[in-house]
Amino acid sequence: MFGLPLGFSAPFVLTALALLPVLWYLLRITPPRPRQVAFPPLKLILDLKPKDETPARTPWWLLVLRLALAALVILAMAGPIWNPLPASEGQRGPLLVVLDDSWAAAPQWDQRVIAINERIASATRDGRPSALLAISDGARDVVLSDSTRATERLRAMKPAPYLPDRMPALQAITKFLTTNKQAEIVWFADGIAGGNARAFAEGLVKAAGDQTVHIVRGSHTPLALGGADNAPGALEVRVLRADASGAGSGQLRAYDLKGLAVGETNFGFALGNETKARFELPIELRNEIARIEIANEHSAGAVTLLDSRWKRRRVGVVSGASADVAQPLLAPSYYLTRALGPFAEVREARPGTRDPIAAILEDQISVLVLADVGVVAGPAHDQLARFIDNGGVLVRFAGTRLAGSSDDLVPVKLRRGGRVLGGSLSWDKPKPLAPFDRDSPFFGLNVSNEVSVTRQVLAEPEVGLAGKTWAALADGTPLVTAARRGKGLVILFHLTADTTWSNLPLSGLFVDMLRRVVALAGESGAAPTGGDQTGANAARAESVSPTRTLDGFGVLGVPPVTAKPIPANYDGPACADYPPGFYGPSDALTAVNTLSRSDKLEAVSFDGLRLDMQALRPSEPVDLRPAMVTAAFLMLLLDGLASIWLAGGFGRNGRRRVARGAAAALAVGFAIAGGLSDIRPASAQASAPAAPEYRATQRDMEAALRTRLAYVITGDRTVDEGSRVGLSTLSRELGRRTSLAPAEPNGVDPARDELVFYPLLYWPIVAGRPQPSVDAVNRIAAFMKQGGTIVFDTRDAMMTRPGGAPTPESVWLRQLLAGVDVPELEPVPRDHVVTKTYYLLENFVGRTTIGQTWIEALAPEQGDPSSRPARAGDSVSPIIITSNDLAAAWAVERNGDALFPLVPGGARQRELAIRGGINLVMYTLTGNYKADQVHVRDLLERLAH
Amino acid sequence: MADARLLDEQELRADGRHELGALDLARRLPSLIVAAKDVAATVMHGVHGRRRAGVGETFWQFRPFTMGEATSRIDWRRSARDDRVYVREREWEAAHTIWIWIDRSPSMAYVSSLAMQPKIDRAITLGLACADLLVRGGERVGVPGLTRALATRNIIERLAEAMTEETRRPGFVPAELPPPHALAPRTQAVILSDLLTDPAQVTQTIHSMSSRGALGHVVMIADPVEETFPFSGHTEFLDVDSSATLRVGEAETFRADYINRLAAHRDAVRTAAMSRGWSFTIHRTDRPASEALLALRMQIEAGHSLGSYREAV
Repeated sequence: MFGLPLGFSAPFVLTALALLPVLWYLLRITPPRPRQVAFPPLKLILDLKPKDETPARTPWWLLVLRLALAALVILAMAGPIWNPLPASEGQRGPLLVVLDDSWAAAPQWDQRVIAINERIASATRDGRPSALLAISDGARDVVLSDSTRATERLRAMKPAPYLPDRMPALQAITKFLTTNKQAEIVWFADGIAGGNARAFAEGLVKAAGDQTVHIVRGSHTPLALGGADNAPGALEVRVLRADASGAGSGQLRAYDLKGLAVGETNFGFALGNETKARFELPIELRNEIARIEIANEHSAGAVTLLDSRWKRRRVGVVSGASADVAQPLLAPSYYLTRALGPFAEVREARPGTRDPIAAILEDQISVLVLADVGVVAGPAHDQLARFIDNGGVLVRFAGTRLAGSSDDLVPVKLRRGGRVLGGSLSWDKPKPLAPFDRDSPFFGLNVSNEVSVTRQVLAEPEVGLAGKTWAALADGTPLVTAARRGKGLVILFHLTADTTWSNLPLSGLFVDMLRRVVALAGESGAAPTGGDQTGANAARAESVSPTRTLDGFGVLGVPPVTAKPIPANYDGPACADYPPGFYGPSDALTAVNTLSRSDKLEAVSFDGLRLDMQALRPSEPVDLRPAMVTAAFLMLLLDGLASIWLAGGFGRNGRRRVARGAAAALAVGFAIAGGLSDIRPASAQASAPAAPEYRATQRDMEAALRTRLAYVITGDRTVDEGSRVGLSTLSRELGRRTSLAPAEPNGVDPARDELVFYPLLYWPIVAGRPQPSVDAVNRIAAFMKQGGTIVFDTRDAMMTRPGGAPTPESVWLRQLLAGVDVPELEPVPRDHVVTKTYYLLENFVGRTTIGQTWIEALAPEQGDPSSRPARAGDSVSPIIITSNDLAAAWAVERNGDALFPLVPGGARQRELAIRGGINLVMYTLTGNYKADQVHVRDLLERLAH
Repeated sequence: MADARLLDEQELRADGRHELGALDLARRLPSLIVAAKDVAATVMHGVHGRRRAGVGETFWQFRPFTMGEATSRIDWRRSARDDRVYVREREWEAAHTIWIWIDRSPSMAYVSSLAMQPKIDRAITLGLACADLLVRGGERVGVPGLTRALATRNIIERLAEAMTEETRRPGFVPAELPPPHALAPRTQAVILSDLLTDPAQVTQTIHSMSSRGALGHVVMIADPVEETFPFSGHTEFLDVDSSATLRVGEAETFRADYINRLAAHRDAVRTAAMSRGWSFTIHRTDRPASEALLALRMQIEAGHSLGSYREAV
């Protein structure tokens, strides 16, 4: 109706719209209720005749609102339907529905089924029989049926997981059309060109004669996956689409064999109909991936299955040659690494490893390549044997060492010395390779004539040598032999891995051969070779039956009865006989995919054909009646509110009454709105529990505003008082002698207080106190890591005896520092910058003078020590340990009275103690500045020039 | 357009017209009383003597003793200072009686958004404040038909109590005008009302009250809405003390007529007051109460002097 997809189930009700002008007139002369005003002096004017009795007109907006309300009710009564069923077009012949049921139709399958159902229902209403033909039915005859049967048949249909050819169906249609010339043909096309779409369309038009062929196409552009490639670093997946125009994006999901999600990645089309998506995952995870699908694209084409052929294996490479780093092109491991790199993870033993084989076996490898390793002996041999017995694959390359002597880990007995072809002492020319045998795993590889072998090791002729041979020279001498050992395989290339014996390592064939060999690693247990030669051949020749297959929607399930076993090494796309899915036993699955690696998707073009194109209706019919009734009701509420407002209801006079009424109206409105829309639970409740916040105290604010020293409160009153007065004196002296004017020192508790504000923390050790908590120790460690310096003062210089038992204070300190990352310490060297930061000092004295002071060890000196009078590290030492009880020596009251006597005593000692303290503070604040100061003369000279 | 409303029952009950009057008195009257006291305090009571010798407490003058007077009147302390004999005279301080009428009819229970207070609140505030002011000035104050003339210090509480008491009486209907009894000469009457009754009735009341020479002051309290008539559009007017309604299509067309009628009404009342020498004031509730109180006081003072003048004549 009016170009809109709008229809009415009872259109005659719409005639009521003609009454709207009458309503308009009636409404216009019926004004809203007047507002009522109490007015005490009314008596004065009660007898006045109103001059103008005509009431005010209804406001225009209220009129519009009420008319819209009435119109809505009338429209709602007429039963409006959005997207109504298509009307019959006056056709008389039967209806033939041709349905593309390939995987490309799967994403919109439900809509297609609904649309076909509507067509059939519409035809049934007109008394026309209908026929239904699915393309995958092939040349089966088309039968007319009534709507019930057709609907049932339609319901039973499922999209096929492959792309069926349409041509056989055309024959059936042609046959049907010869008997039913009037038939209305509707083709529900999937939109891709594969399966002879164009030819089918042409044939259809021809067969239809003068009847129009209707084509219904989906709005959805089919997406598909065109195979995956386990490249180094990432698993690359080819994403295809039929429509080459415009941008597009989506998501890929990867699952393992059990259906667990392994990873997700996004893809985007810029232009063209092919792009690549990469799963950048660790190799272990990538090897787990068994199924990749496009999210929300439910079709078999949007799924690609991966079997062991896609797995990247870890290959260890050990070379017997002495490592020559300078000439990599001469090393066999170079060729091996390059050849294995594209499809496997190559591990090499670190140079200098004592037992490279054992070391590399630790690495969870599945293939071990030994290049020219003659004899593996000792524990490495046992390990290697166990590795092979447990299913590992050992690949050996010959060389001078192997030619000289070999161990038992070779598939065939070797003749000592080897054979040189085409050498100066030989009649023979270099030999090319013979084509690969059918039984060989290399079968199918293209043997290049350019490959030639000049030298090889020879196998002793013995029984069964032919069965062990995977590749041979043109003269029949085995070139690659293999034997089973335990669950594993031993493979020997009778060549070197470098180019000295042949040019095989330079050819692409080498890569392919290695790829096949590495692929054997996973299935070596399942595919017996070597000794069980006949069995192996039988297994190889045997076809593999389907285990689980995809249906058209891309869901793995039980294989259909029509599925046939695939021949081994089947590498083509899926077809009706071989539906996509996993084939074979569960430990050696073979994947068959809907699209082969080279497939492309193309949209079918119907240009130049006489066809009636229709779009698949995107949505179902929607009954608009409830929405309209709701809207009318809401407008009614609005009208009521407006009437109250016009009657002065929102004024002071009736505020309470109206407020109550309005609240009720709103409540009803919200209840309706709530019923109509899906109110989701508020997500606010999911607020994460807040981390415990650090709250800055007033003290912290002050500490942050001015630099000040700090001491740790030990709990021993004498010591704490000494620390406080000592640091106070030191701060005073700093302010007097230097440009630094620290504020009064703070006493801190590392367990509670924030330490970051203090550059220097003085910590007198009192042995009897309990150790700080783990949390406090962590904070101390963090403080030291962040650049703070802690001066630990054990105050036990008098008690310490060289070589004697550690004092309780030392024990306490050691226990504390056990949880802290303490750098290497050394007694303060004479040339350490801490002795030169302000005063030139020799040692740090306190109440006692004999104690040692320890500081972070500096890097050993380089160059001429005499040229550098001061040395410093890159940063300030986070820890300084002394035993001289520094604070006690500093502690002098303001009136000049010392708190503690000094040993041995004297004003000079107290002065030196203060100087030492000043040096420590300067050291923590300036770092290695003084050490760099010695260069100032050179720098100035350089600047002068 | 201004909003106007009648006080609802709860608010009216708060004035103590019903059973819970006593409780409501505690809730509402205190605020009115405080307001009344506040207003009264702003108007300082001036010298209120008779400016002549007479019975009183304040010293007026010494005058020479004239023969024939009682000797007990001689002020011996003053007479001892010279040879003559003096008599101490005191200023004559006679207390007046003032009757205050506060209209509490339904039409007073009206307030618009333009007003500061309902008319009835304004009337009670003004009345009580006036009473307090007068009692502090040495006068006696009463409510006609309710109390006798009182001169107690807690006059506000007494009058409020009496009014509350009255409202609790069964079958009480608040009267619009005071009972038309003749007041004694030299008393004054203060009528606080919106006077929205028949002017003839007002005239009759004033005439009968003043028949014995009493003076009076009529304060007409009006809501601003009643003066300006700020209504427009389709409006239905409701009377407050009858069920009369008036539905008007275009209220604004009524404004001029109404204002004419109001002016005529006021003129009638004014004439009635002036004819007996009574003062007439119009007080709007959007003006502060103190303004009306000050005017009222000045007029009461003038009434005093007028009374004295009459007496002298």
